[in-house]
Amino acid sequence: MSFLNAIFSQHLTADALPGAVRSTLGKPLRRAAGLTQLAVIGALTCLPEAQRQLPTALLWQSNSGPRQETLTLLDEVCCGPAEPMPYDFLATQPAIAAAQLKPFLPGLHSAMHLPQDEVGQAYWSLLITLAGHWLAQGRYAQVLCAQLDHRVEGSAAHWLALAAQPLENPLARLQLSKTGAQPSLADCPDFPERLGRWLNEPPTDSLYLHAANAPGLTVEFARL
Amino acid sequence: MSRPVHITGSALNCACGDSPAKAAASMWAGTTRLGQKHLGDRAFPYYSLPLSETAWLPRAEQAIRSLTAQLGPIAPTTPLFIASSSFQMGWFEEQGQPFDLPPASASFSRQIAAWLGLDGPRYTFSNACISGFSALDAARSLIAAGSIDEAIVVGVELANASTLAGFAAMELLSRSACRPFDATRDGLVLGEAVAAVRLSSQPAGWRISGLRTGIDAYSTTGPDPQGGPIAELLRDCLDEAGLATEQIELIKLQAAGSPGTDLAEANALRQVFGQAMPPLLSLKPALGHTLGASGIAELAALLACLDSEHIPATGGFSRVDPEIALCPLVERSNAHISRALLNLVGFGGGLAALIMERRR
Repeated sequence: MSFLNAIFSQHLTADALPGAVRSTLGKPLRRAAGLTQLAVIGALTCLPEAQRQLPTALLWQSNSGPRQETLTLLDEVCCGPAEPMPYDFLATQPAIAAAQLKPFLPGLHSAMHLPQDEVGQAYWSLLITLAGHWLAQGRYAQVLCAQLDHRVEGSAAHWLALAAQPLENPLARLQLSKTGAQPSLADCPDFPERLGRWLNEPPTDSLYLHAANAPGLTVEFARL
Repeated sequence: MSRPVHITGSALNCACGDSPAKAAASMWAGTTRLGQKHLGDRAFPYYSLPLSETAWLPRAEQAIRSLTAQLGPIAPTTPLFIASSSFQMGWFEEQGQPFDLPPASASFSRQIAAWLGLDGPRYTFSNACISGFSALDAARSLIAAGSIDEAIVVGVELANASTLAGFAAMELLSRSACRPFDATRDGLVLGEAVAAVRLSSQPAGWRISGLRTGIDAYSTTGPDPQGGPIAELLRDCLDEAGLATEQIELIKLQAAGSPGTDLAEANALRQVFGQAMPPLLSLKPALGHTLGASGIAELAALLACLDSEHIPATGGFSRVDPEIALCPLVERSNAHISRALLNLVGFGGGLAALIMERRR
């Protein structure tokens, strides 16, 4: 069993992202792609300072990926002088977000980035199942699961902070389940927002997260 | 619940062969097909797949379909884990402006699954050079815990100008050859590969007994030269496998010929293994650095080498670097290896290590 210690969702217009970073860090984050900026804001919002040294894994999924950065790189390579600006190439590598986040989250041990292949798709059931297994093994003390999307029209971020131990006021406990039951939610990008609404709306005690094509990855959330 | 996870099959198409056995035979014979790619006025060595198709998408299909026959029959609902760092960049380049990127960034994975004849759960991993081991880590964790029983893990990296140009712009590429750990090493040589391994809870020849991923945040382009984070990860992996350093009989290095990363890896190995250094092998002089596919491609190639007891020499190495002070295998070996460690050091700070053990 593990605990849901925080839920965080954020929707930002493109021009609001730098301001949100400044208000989180007290300074701008230089040379960081949009997805990296979202990762820093969300991780620091979910984890109180005292938790940031604990062994942590970050599992994050994205539908947009580094879309604008990829278009910039393609423009430079296909229509420019053949070799891009080094930073423009680096910005297309989502894995770099973890290295840029680690100075703010010293306990960050591992990160996985999972790009999605269909609009509306989400891997929450996979991320939470992996988190549940790793927390049960003691591999990490906490696992951050996120959906991060950054497009011209705006950014969206959804986060769940899961841990082996509850904080002072955990939101729910969760366990992996071989079979689902009702009520349930489908695996969708804004699952944390929906989970948050369920937590604020009694009366059912449990909620199941189902991935339609992966019944072995069902998760049960229970009120505390 | 935690059960052993075994490697029950593998498939590979790389510059040195279109199956693991052919690649192993080519590495043993030292017959490497090194080509060249041009970028503006500069030319770079490059390891290309020997495919008859030339247009990007048919070529990708030919490469992926070459894996299916090697893997044998697969239940269509088998969970699929895909690792790549550049996906279909070459296709976008070929289509030209205006670049029409699909809304979902890993849409190419749907196509890969269709070519493989799989319509079950499908997950994609993109963590630069450690993508393959990230995908393996997830698949193995689910099998070990009983969430799934079997998985196909695929690594895909196909030629495109953007990746080559990006590495060239950062001055990370050699203009001549891949020389792992060598005093004259001067950069990476990129390559393309597609590869797959089949994981199962059912017993088979090899078991994954340790797998850990980590982060080295020293810089976004290279690891801590002292090797501290790499050493920490290697110890974690050994701990998970329950093995002492003396029990590792072979290390498949990251060693891509990068001046900084090779040194960091060597320093880490010295910290962990001290004077009891196992034989060291780099496969990159035969396959090239295949980035997001490298974890799976090098695993498939190494399995074939170990199964045939034909461990190749590390090409490109001739002179010891006094700073590195380690020498990879320069003579071929027929050793029977029961425990091997595979190390990856990724662009962007990713680290990964895997230990596999032969079934007794």
